[in-house]
Amino acid sequence: MERVKTGIKGLDQMLQGGLLPETATLVEGAPGTGKTTLGMQFIYNGIVQYDEPGLIVTFEEFPLQYYRDAASFGWDFRELERQGKLRVIMSSPEVTHHDLTSVGGIIETAAKEMGARRILVDSISHFRRLEQDPIALRELQYSFINALKREGLTSLLTRESQTLFGENRQADDFVAFTADTYLLLRYVEIESIVQKALLVLKFRGSDHAKDIRQFEITGQGIVVRSRFEGQEGIMSGSPHRMADAFVKAFVENRGAK
Amino acid sequence: MQYEDFTTKLMNDMDPALLDFVKEKVNTFIKWDLLRFFHGNPNTADTAENIARYVGRSAAAVKAEAQELVDDRLLQIRLVADLPIYTLTQDRENRTLIDQFLGACEDRDFRVKVVYHIIRGMR
Repeated sequence: MERVKTGIKGLDQMLQGGLLPETATLVEGAPGTGKTTLGMQFIYNGIVQYDEPGLIVTFEEFPLQYYRDAASFGWDFRELERQGKLRVIMSSPEVTHHDLTSVGGIIETAAKEMGARRILVDSISHFRRLEQDPIALRELQYSFINALKREGLTSLLTRESQTLFGENRQADDFVAFTADTYLLLRYVEIESIVQKALLVLKFRGSDHAKDIRQFEITGQGIVVRSRFEGQEGIMSGSPHRMADAFVKAFVENRGAK
Repeated sequence: MQYEDFTTKLMNDMDPALLDFVKEKVNTFIKWDLLRFFHGNPNTADTAENIARYVGRSAAAVKAEAQELVDDRLLQIRLVADLPIYTLTQDRENRTLIDQFLGACEDRDFRVKVVYHIIRGMR
């Protein structure tokens, strides 16, 4: 099966080789967990490793910020733009939505001109400000995601969690249902150190790793490490050692007898 | 009078193409802001209201000034579902001129001259 490799060390292995072409992936996490970095790396690797031009659509951060952030990882986004392999487009959700649904829009034209295969939309959380009505919001998100697929783009959509640690309930989780792949990034506190965890929660049409992996944002971007060993309750944000649970269940109970 | 002549001569001391650009096209601070914004973020495509938020100016002022930049072929306007959307010009010659202008703005002395001409133009 054809795969769209992220080129992110460890992540492709979790995804059995990569994402599926022309699918939408939701990347959810709290501020600072690395959603945008993961997205930029997906786009950058696509261009330099797999010769797949890419688009970045930003609804909040200025493109200048992307150029700077990318440069800190050694990725020259300006040069890639000059070569016509990347375009960082700043717009608002309302314009982007109208643009994608109209014929010959800016994104459609850019995708066709460049032969773009990948797109990062950062972030889809901003669609909430367009519609208060949840049903209308669902329709809007659904048509947006389908328009990206129509253009032959493999998309990565970021979404902010409202909580820093632990469970996060989105008021309207329609995107999680519509997205083909769902990646969760979480802060985890272990022995007074904040680490980062990544989980592939859903991958429509493919098997995937079910374990929760540690990851780091290094000078070269995101690197997914091994699974958390000997810990339980990772996604709660404050896991405990399995050994403690074992001790509680068996040793302490035995002593009480 | 003699003092003013000296100042004018000093302030006009720049590339004639840029002097003309400053006097005729970047003749307000908002236009300068808009060009700087679009130059730094060249693939922006948005409404005047949103661009006003990005540059921290009033929407009414940005709308009027952006329209003048469109008239001068430094910005482009297109309708997306009846929404007027502004983008940076695709005209190579004007893009080069904008690059040169903002490149020159890295120099403090040049910026002082631009400020002088804008203020004089406002009188």
